[in-house]
Amino acid sequence: MSLQVYEPVEEPSLSKFVEISNLVKEYPNPYGDDFRVVENFNLNIRQGEFISLIGHSGCGKSTVLTMLAGLNEISDGGIIVGNREIDGPGPDRAVVFQAPCLMPWLTAFGNVMLGVKSVYPHADKATQTQIVEHSLSVVGLADSMKKYPREMSGGMQQRVGIARAIALQPKVLLLDEPFGRLDSLTRMELQDVIIDILAREKLTAMIVTHDVDEAVFMADRCVMMSNGPKATCAEIMEIYFPRPRDREEVFNDPAFFQYREHLLAFLEQRSHIKGDTRIHNRSNLIGYLDKPALTNLENKLSVAVA
Amino acid sequence: MKTDSHRPLLFINLTIGWHGYRSLSPEPSLPAMADSTKDKIKYGLLKGIDVSGFKVLDPPVRLLFGEEPQKQIRDIAKYMLLPILFVLCCILLWSVVAPNHKTRSGEVPGPSKVLTAYSDSKRFEERQKEKASDFKLEGQERLAMVKEVETELASLEAKAAELSEEAAKIEALAQEKMAARIAPIQSKLDALKAKHKAAEDARDAQLEALAGEAVAGEVSSDTLVAFIRETEAIEEKADAAEDVYEEQLEEIRSNPPSEVKDAQLAANRVADEVQHYKKRLAILTKENRNVKEAEYLAKIAEDKEQLAAASTAGDVVKEAKAIARNTERAEDVGSQTYPRTATIFWQTKRSLATVFVGFIIAAAIAIPVGIMCGLNRIFMACMTPIISIFRPVSPVVWLLIFQIIIGAFFPDPENHPLFVTLNQDKFFGWIANPIAFLGTNPAMIFSACTVAMCALWPALVNTALGVSSVDKDHMNVAKVLRLGFWSRLFKIVVPASLPLVFAGLRISLGVGWMVLIAAEALSSSDGLGKFVWDEYQNGSSQSFANIILACFVVGIIGFFLDRIMVFLQRLVSFDDGSATA
Repeated sequence: MSLQVYEPVEEPSLSKFVEISNLVKEYPNPYGDDFRVVENFNLNIRQGEFISLIGHSGCGKSTVLTMLAGLNEISDGGIIVGNREIDGPGPDRAVVFQAPCLMPWLTAFGNVMLGVKSVYPHADKATQTQIVEHSLSVVGLADSMKKYPREMSGGMQQRVGIARAIALQPKVLLLDEPFGRLDSLTRMELQDVIIDILAREKLTAMIVTHDVDEAVFMADRCVMMSNGPKATCAEIMEIYFPRPRDREEVFNDPAFFQYREHLLAFLEQRSHIKGDTRIHNRSNLIGYLDKPALTNLENKLSVAVA
Repeated sequence: MKTDSHRPLLFINLTIGWHGYRSLSPEPSLPAMADSTKDKIKYGLLKGIDVSGFKVLDPPVRLLFGEEPQKQIRDIAKYMLLPILFVLCCILLWSVVAPNHKTRSGEVPGPSKVLTAYSDSKRFEERQKEKASDFKLEGQERLAMVKEVETELASLEAKAAELSEEAAKIEALAQEKMAARIAPIQSKLDALKAKHKAAEDARDAQLEALAGEAVAGEVSSDTLVAFIRETEAIEEKADAAEDVYEEQLEEIRSNPPSEVKDAQLAANRVADEVQHYKKRLAILTKENRNVKEAEYLAKIAEDKEQLAAASTAGDVVKEAKAIARNTERAEDVGSQTYPRTATIFWQTKRSLATVFVGFIIAAAIAIPVGIMCGLNRIFMACMTPIISIFRPVSPVVWLLIFQIIIGAFFPDPENHPLFVTLNQDKFFGWIANPIAFLGTNPAMIFSACTVAMCALWPALVNTALGVSSVDKDHMNVAKVLRLGFWSRLFKIVVPASLPLVFAGLRISLGVGWMVLIAAEALSSSDGLGKFVWDEYQNGSSQSFANIILACFVVGIIGFFLDRIMVFLQRLVSFDDGSATA
């Protein structure tokens, strides 16, 4: 079986579920030209795809994500989500922030309910409650619904943040360094939670991260950004692990290390270059993997498909 | 990103150090730890202590439940016993220093005198209550009370007579003793005076002789002047010598032995009680409102008989007028209450009511305006000059302004519908009016307005600060959830700023309480301020002690008001209040 089967399906409505074109973010600079943080950023995201955005600190990853979320004004270019150009924030693009951002005066239940009430204002109380309870149990907080944020650990708080996001039943789930403040064990647990949810709900998602392992393990494509100012999409790496992904299996795959190596090499190389806008869009995975890893991965994929 | 860390610093450092030792119990209130009933009670108590801000009670409670006794005893010693000891030292210092400073109003009262003033005030209050209830009694109850008072009065009078006799005896005895002490000094003084008199006479004669010689030109006038000056010097010396003895006598006379003072005091106290019972008897009999009413009714009946018997038109009119007049009087008397004199307890209640009204007005203005300021920068810019200019204005100025402005609304306060409504005995004729005793009047209104005007600013500024510094992340969440203006306001902004709002309200209440006392003193609105001012003006032997008593009352009430606000603040603080107190 050839790997060509897994090449992107070129059906426009599916392959361009999210279309980011010529995205620019500039901040006014009183002493000269406007300061361009992001320039000429182009990316199409397929429906149900998981994108990871990686790059050096301050390169504009979060800027791109917050522009997609609508929390940050778009200076030029445009973003289309599901055939509609976005205009400001909305519950169709739910965000999980780096800090859990829970309302400390509300319980876990109340925090999730806050969003549910505003997205489904006309649903009856029982339905709303059901949605809230369902999302909280999905993230594993069925027993802690009545707890206040101060009574929960950072990981539990972030779980509530995730529950609040998925309770909105968004088209796109945006994760802005969601595990940046958590210890590595909790981080792994939550990665699994997210992967489970995405597998179940078939959500399109984008994650901004600094963690190379996370970027490879979670995403279908990894977008590597060049350094700012005028940061842009420098390279896109396709990651062909079968879904649902099993952590142990992925981490033991030789391909994982080669993807990882490549990402690290990219980041290492980029730490000496400023503002390079060249795009190396190699959608072919052959370029990253050596022969044995490729064969191994091919076998796995054929098993998964079968 | 997180603003919590710098937010509460603005006004929070005003707390007194009751919980200056938070480190004692980092997590006293984890409900998960309560696995038995005893533990539940313990942690419930500790939680209550924590929320009410009396952390000083934490170690005793833990000791009571046997948790690390040694540590708790150490903490009790450090944070309870030492402070108590310190306060006792202060009181001791006060009682030693105070009597040594003599002022125009007598010596500065020590703690014991202030305590006496307190018990006197209390007795005064009780008597007022007795009189007020006597005034209203009727029928059998009144007669029974008359009997009771009469017997009591008889026994008191006997006792008073006995005591005053005893006091007289003791005084006579003391007089005798004093006379014995005075006699030797007096005789010495008399002898000295006689001697001086003789010397003076001799010098007078000498002066006359010298004058004669001067006329004759035998001695120069200078000699005469020198002699006169010498005489004056000698006389001064003689006076000084006499003064020494006179002072000794005065000392003995003005300081009668303490047993005389005590006996007189005891006699006076009983005499005072006799007076009170006499007054009560009067109130129970001829001054009682029901007795008076009955009198008027009897008169009316009499008038009616005469009216029936009247033959001329003039007589009929006269009698009819008399009936009308007496009917009116009877109605008036029937609804009267005893005109009570203000006691410190009543004044305290009035002050509390006034500060409460003022505080409510302040909060009702400050919170909405503060929220608007925090939400809208243009509105904030518009309000800034007003806030900046009016905030520093002294309460005294506000008081005068309000006195004029509000006074204009109530040209005839006695019959103004507002005060008639607020001061009536019963609402709609049957619901007892709980605030009738306050006697609301325009003075109270403008005192309350002054309080409101001065208490407004901290609450306003803190609310604006709280609203404008809501965590940006929370606002982002609100944006993603597409919350509307009102739900953003009531679900995010207001709850997030509540701790700061309450911190502001707490300062407001403190300011209001302080301002109120000054405003009452100045505006003669009944309350603690007026009480202090009246005591200062009336200058009786006890007024100085009463002023110090009022000082403690004001301080203790202020403390409890602050505690109540801390409690409320902690109830609304989602971060367990640790950052806000």
